[in-house]
Amino acid sequence: MTRSAEGSTEVAAGPPRRRRVTSQRRREQIAGALFVLPDLLGLLVFAGLPMMLAVVLGFFAVDGFGGYRFVGLANYRRMLHDALFLQSLRVTLLYVVLLVPSLYLSGFALALLVQRRSVLSGLLRTLFFLPQMISLVVVAIIWQVLLVDKIGLVSRLSALLGVHNLSWLGDPRLALYAVVFISVWFLMGFYMLIFLGGLQDIPREYYDAARMDGASAWASLRYITLPLLKPTSFFVLLVSTVAAVAGGQAFDLIYVMTKGGPANATALAIYYIYQQAFQYNEFGYGCAMATVLVVILMALTLLLFAFTRGGRFEQG
Amino acid sequence: MVQDSFAAGRRGTALPTRRQILTSAGLGTLALATPALATPALARADRPTLSFWQFYAPGGPVAAQAQWFEDVVAKWNASNDVKVTLEYVPNDQYMNGSKLQTAFASGSGPDLFLISPGDFLRYGNARMLLDLTPYIDAAAQRDFPEQVMATRKIAGRIYGIPMEVEPMAMYYSLAAFEKAGLGEADIPKDWDALLALGKKLTTHNRFGLLFETTPGYYQNFTWYPFLWQGGGGIQKDGKSSFNGAAAVQALQLWQESVASGAAPRKLLGGGAWDIVPNLASGYCAMQNCGIWGISALRSNAPSFRYGVFPLPVPKGGRPVTVGGGWAFVANARGRDPETAGRFCAWALASTKPDSVQRVADWCTRAKSDMPPRTSVFAAASAAYGSGLLKLFKDEIYPTVRGEPRVPPQVYKIISDAIQECQLGGRSPEQQAASASQQIDDYLATYSGAPII
Amino acid sequence: MSRADSAAHRGRAGITPASAQLWSLLGLGLALATVAPIAWMFVTTFKSGADVFSLGAPHHLTLSNLVYVFTQVDFLRFLFNTFIVSSAVTVVAIVLHSMAGYALARLRFPGREIIFLAMFSTFLVSLPVIIVPLFLVVKTLGLLDSYGGLIIPSVFNAFGIFLLRQFYLGVPRELEEAAIMDGAGYWQIYRSIILPLSRPILSSLAILFFLANWNAFLWPLTVTNSKSLWVVQVAIVSFQGQYSGSWNYVIAASSVVTVPTILLFLLFQRNIIESIKTSGLK
Repeated sequence: MTRSAEGSTEVAAGPPRRRRVTSQRRREQIAGALFVLPDLLGLLVFAGLPMMLAVVLGFFAVDGFGGYRFVGLANYRRMLHDALFLQSLRVTLLYVVLLVPSLYLSGFALALLVQRRSVLSGLLRTLFFLPQMISLVVVAIIWQVLLVDKIGLVSRLSALLGVHNLSWLGDPRLALYAVVFISVWFLMGFYMLIFLGGLQDIPREYYDAARMDGASAWASLRYITLPLLKPTSFFVLLVSTVAAVAGGQAFDLIYVMTKGGPANATALAIYYIYQQAFQYNEFGYGCAMATVLVVILMALTLLLFAFTRGGRFEQG
Repeated sequence: MVQDSFAAGRRGTALPTRRQILTSAGLGTLALATPALATPALARADRPTLSFWQFYAPGGPVAAQAQWFEDVVAKWNASNDVKVTLEYVPNDQYMNGSKLQTAFASGSGPDLFLISPGDFLRYGNARMLLDLTPYIDAAAQRDFPEQVMATRKIAGRIYGIPMEVEPMAMYYSLAAFEKAGLGEADIPKDWDALLALGKKLTTHNRFGLLFETTPGYYQNFTWYPFLWQGGGGIQKDGKSSFNGAAAVQALQLWQESVASGAAPRKLLGGGAWDIVPNLASGYCAMQNCGIWGISALRSNAPSFRYGVFPLPVPKGGRPVTVGGGWAFVANARGRDPETAGRFCAWALASTKPDSVQRVADWCTRAKSDMPPRTSVFAAASAAYGSGLLKLFKDEIYPTVRGEPRVPPQVYKIISDAIQECQLGGRSPEQQAASASQQIDDYLATYSGAPII
Repeated sequence: MSRADSAAHRGRAGITPASAQLWSLLGLGLALATVAPIAWMFVTTFKSGADVFSLGAPHHLTLSNLVYVFTQVDFLRFLFNTFIVSSAVTVVAIVLHSMAGYALARLRFPGREIIFLAMFSTFLVSLPVIIVPLFLVVKTLGLLDSYGGLIIPSVFNAFGIFLLRQFYLGVPRELEEAAIMDGAGYWQIYRSIILPLSRPILSSLAILFFLANWNAFLWPLTVTNSKSLWVVQVAIVSFQGQYSGSWNYVIAASSVVTVPTILLFLLFQRNIIESIKTSGLK
């Protein structure tokens, strides 16, 4: 796994060495603990604590004005019969299945496209990333105007192709696809950057060697790029799945653009939870559903971790 | 190799000092901000100040409306020990967001705030609203018509003081009418005529008719009059009255408007309440909108020519429209509920001329609204004597019925029915029946203030 | 790039000059399509009220929206607030997360895996879900309506830790091991070896953190009441008024807000390229 350092220094023999190794180990432990401490504390207070509170609240009926009533598993039982909740889970599943591969492929493809060091690539990088810099309120307005019935740019263009009367955001059969498309437009720059970070980590010598051996572009991609990108790929898949299921961005887009409509076609689970908590004053019920969602996510991520051996991908 | 790495490290610190600059800038900023990071020493007077959360001032989008609020508070503060301070929450966040709820849930709710009938029961049933009846004298109580006050009362006691009445009507573009060779005589009086006219005015880049399509309290609000016109309702004596011909035909009207291509599925701007992006931009020829459209068009599309007519009626139905409007309420668990209650009554519901004039100013100068008090008609007779306000006063206001107050679950049941029919193409009979069943199920376990 | 370099570079993975040009063209077309909606936003900034949503050419262009945004509203103050908050969060987060990521990837200490999993699990929950308990915690700490309340909770997010851990897992160990054998302390190793090595990823993360906080809306809205603490997103949303829209101001404000982030991105993204040239690995 490790090559011995060239020009190695002498290693003292005997008891002093054992002492140095032990104190070395000790120093590593202390350093590790100290390095991790600030983040650990912060996450505990500002993320862990609220999460635990939320889990606890799932066992209460909370009226939102300070009234707490212990109800045990009533909220969880209610969930099983809540048609709207189950529907929201189905919508979320569809959203994840559509969004995650789209983000992965678009991020990867764009990173490949712009990884070269040239003025053009620099420009392209900025342009692809530009959507990320706009507030979601404005994203909603822009796409509203582009996708609006009859006179929107997209409608006019599709009319040229002979397709009329499509309402991308107003038709329950089409709305979720439109939201996925807009999400990809908004997020692909982000994933492009992540993949760029990973790509730039791959030493150029590998590609040079492959080229000299006469390998094709596709072979290089398959045998050099993809394997060495495993940690990045793992990261991207994980992050995009978590973001699609429980993330703020999915929520923000739905909240600003469709409010869960038309006819509940874009009512993601996280939006439904928000509605229950803040529109219907059912904080306890909302927390219970959120807990279920987090448990599902945890199961998914544990699977992913186990599948990839802790996401380590140590290179030999 | 070791030397290389250390050299690299050294080179790293010598070359792009960008990160160094940023780090020191960041640390410097943190150092400057440290005093601010500590608990802010909020200047608390010895007596509490009452916080008034609303979406107008200070710094709200319409200067005249912000000014009205600031004047009210300034006048109160000049002659009272317990001061009121205005806190502004952006409109959409106030109505649809979580800011209020988060504050209430953690015991930091405002002492005074605005409430709509749609949201009333959520607070009323939790007994969060102060009973304002003791602060309003009998003469003033009589000044508010029953249909305006009914949705703010529980068991005969008043819990909110309305500041306005906003009736819904239909707006139309004069240019669109003229282009199609139509005039005042062609204004539709019934639903069939409305749909036919909508189809006629639809062109390849304009819709003829427009209703709200985004799910929410507002969509329900604009749909209710069509339910009432046929004699329908939500509930009666604790049982659902939703399943009936009236509900079915109202759902059918909205479904037909979209299915025929006359009405769009998706709107521009913020929704159907937003008249400038929809009617004034030429997106539609007729729009279902409320009285606020007058002031919105006046400020943002002053050269746009338009007209207003009352909502058309189904065959055998009677003219009804819905009237929304926000009300002042006091937090029963606030810091000084008694003073808060006195403030609300003093501001809007006193028989003194300044109170009446205040309401008149709000309804005719700051905004364009119908007043919640009959004495304002006399106080602002000039404003209501001409133009579109006169039209609203004479033809539309008499048919107003107050916006219903329903618990959130009932709102959702009705909202889903409207959405499924209007946009999902489902059968109105089925949706009405299913919604009615769900309402019955819910009402069986409901034990709060009556749904009106 | 030298002639030989570029030849080798083009020859890399078998791309011919012709197909390289084709890819460039495709990339450019795609990029232009991506930013077309944004171009619309910039053009609309100069349109007047009723024209915003009409899709024809504007009747006349006006600067009044921009004037309004800067004069009628304290927009410079809001820009300043947002800049302070975003910068502070970015700097602190980069430092803390790279330390934590390095420790989790490289340093062995008891409970490391459990701590990592615990940190990671906080990643699975988003703001809308925990906003009420978080508000309670912040209120108890006395951070309501202050810069601290805006900055401190935003720093702690497992995303950066996770990404950096993945990155450090992939960094070869030789450099550190040599340094350890030379007797270097861990803080020294971190500062002199690890930090320079991670410049590309840290640059990317800095951009992302800055942006996320620049565009943050729900938390700043919830935790602050005073207008003097407003951030730009809250200000933009406040332009929308009940029943009167004012979308021309919303869009003008958004254009104003987008420009600084574009500039910053341009600044940083060149940094990424440079740091590759000087990286200690080559």
